[in-house]
Amino acid sequence: MNQTDKPIANPIVVLREEFDDWAVLFNPDTAAAMGTNPVGVAVWKRMDGKRSLEDIVSEIRNSFEDTPDAVFKEIAAFVDTLAEKGFVGLEVESK
Amino acid sequence: MPEQLTDKIEPTVSKVMRTPRSLDIEITARCNLRCRYCYFFNNPTVEYRDLSTNEWLKFFDELGSLGVMNVTLAGGEPFIREDLTTLLEGLVRNRMRFSLLSNGALIGDEIAAFLARTGRCEYVQVSVDGSCAEVHDSCRGKGSFEGAIRGIRTLQRHQISVAVRVTIHRYNIDDLENIAHFLLEELGLPGFGTNSAGYLGTCRLNADDVMLTIAERQLAMATLLRLAEKYPNRISASAGPLAEGLTWRRMELARAQGKPAFYNGGRLTACGCPSSKISVRADGAIVLCSMLAHVELGRINHDSLAEIWQNSPALNQLRNRHTIPLTGFEFCAGCSYIPYCTGNCPGLAYTITGQVDHPSPDACLRRFLEGGGAIP
Repeated sequence: MNQTDKPIANPIVVLREEFDDWAVLFNPDTAAAMGTNPVGVAVWKRMDGKRSLEDIVSEIRNSFEDTPDAVFKEIAAFVDTLAEKGFVGLEVESK
Repeated sequence: MPEQLTDKIEPTVSKVMRTPRSLDIEITARCNLRCRYCYFFNNPTVEYRDLSTNEWLKFFDELGSLGVMNVTLAGGEPFIREDLTTLLEGLVRNRMRFSLLSNGALIGDEIAAFLARTGRCEYVQVSVDGSCAEVHDSCRGKGSFEGAIRGIRTLQRHQISVAVRVTIHRYNIDDLENIAHFLLEELGLPGFGTNSAGYLGTCRLNADDVMLTIAERQLAMATLLRLAEKYPNRISASAGPLAEGLTWRRMELARAQGKPAFYNGGRLTACGCPSSKISVRADGAIVLCSMLAHVELGRINHDSLAEIWQNSPALNQLRNRHTIPLTGFEFCAGCSYIPYCTGNCPGLAYTITGQVDHPSPDACLRRFLEGGGAIP
């Protein structure tokens, strides 16, 4: 099986949208948690193992106004951070 | 778009979260002990009955759908429930972590192993009030010390985090040094917490016998402050003599030096609980707090917790308590500590004065000094 470039959210992780501009991702198995803004939430909700990172960034560009040029880099870094914490993996496909 | 997608978890806004982060649940109204200062029993406004397994599991599904992160199961004695593993599986299934408050006596290897297997147990808090059976059992009943220590050792064998709480009363103030030595050096606990018997529940019936006098409170304060220096960062308190000793020292220093008001001083700011958590009684009543168990906001599985959380007038009134200035209370008239005072626990304020929106006389520094007390 090969890893794809399609991130998939760890289903055990809880997304708590606490305020309009603030959410928490919480892994009950490790007690790890991190806060995120609405863009992070939008990214999180799109990590379904079907969309590539490029797909996700493209949708974010279409959904939010005034996205900076560095949006791809920022979202990639965000996904890397999530992966380091075990919040996200990469979808695998069988040959 | 903001550049940072993540940040530390510290919302600076005072808006209400969409749902509570955590819940305190009295999972049972039964207990194997009858401690003389128990806050839980003998509250005339509470109906002492247990809900069925399925009623709790249905509610836990609701908590899961709301993204609740932590649940603390208390009672009564939570380990008395024969269906405890089923209930905990319900919490785990709904992606929550949990803690349990216990007297320790009913914790055996089987349940301890289960707790460890879940990987979701934050800690089990066990009450220990003495360094020996004679002291501990004085208010908790014969055999309770042996049960508590057996429970702690069982939890330790299964690598479950144990949080010990020492409740200070008239029968253990002379044992505090021994208690610290026993818990920290003999049992090898990383630390323990302290409070004191408060004027709630059964304690109200035994107040003259178990609650500390001003002189005893001063002695407990001095001893605990000394022990806290001897064992740095290993003895904690959010209420009771140690917390009071630390807070009152700061307040007296600030007053004597004419310092500006504390950021949370001068208003009823003491309780931050309603910003992130809510409580449920054993009979399923959703309440403000286990110390304000008479204020029923609704019923589990009947009323929407999210709706209550966001719109309950009583809950919002408690949240707004922090706007009430102490200068408006006759009780505080002329007090030079007002700029440094938070008014303290609304639960104790209610049981003592009959008003939630009132400073608690129990933790009033001026009252303590006027009664002959001195800050160590």
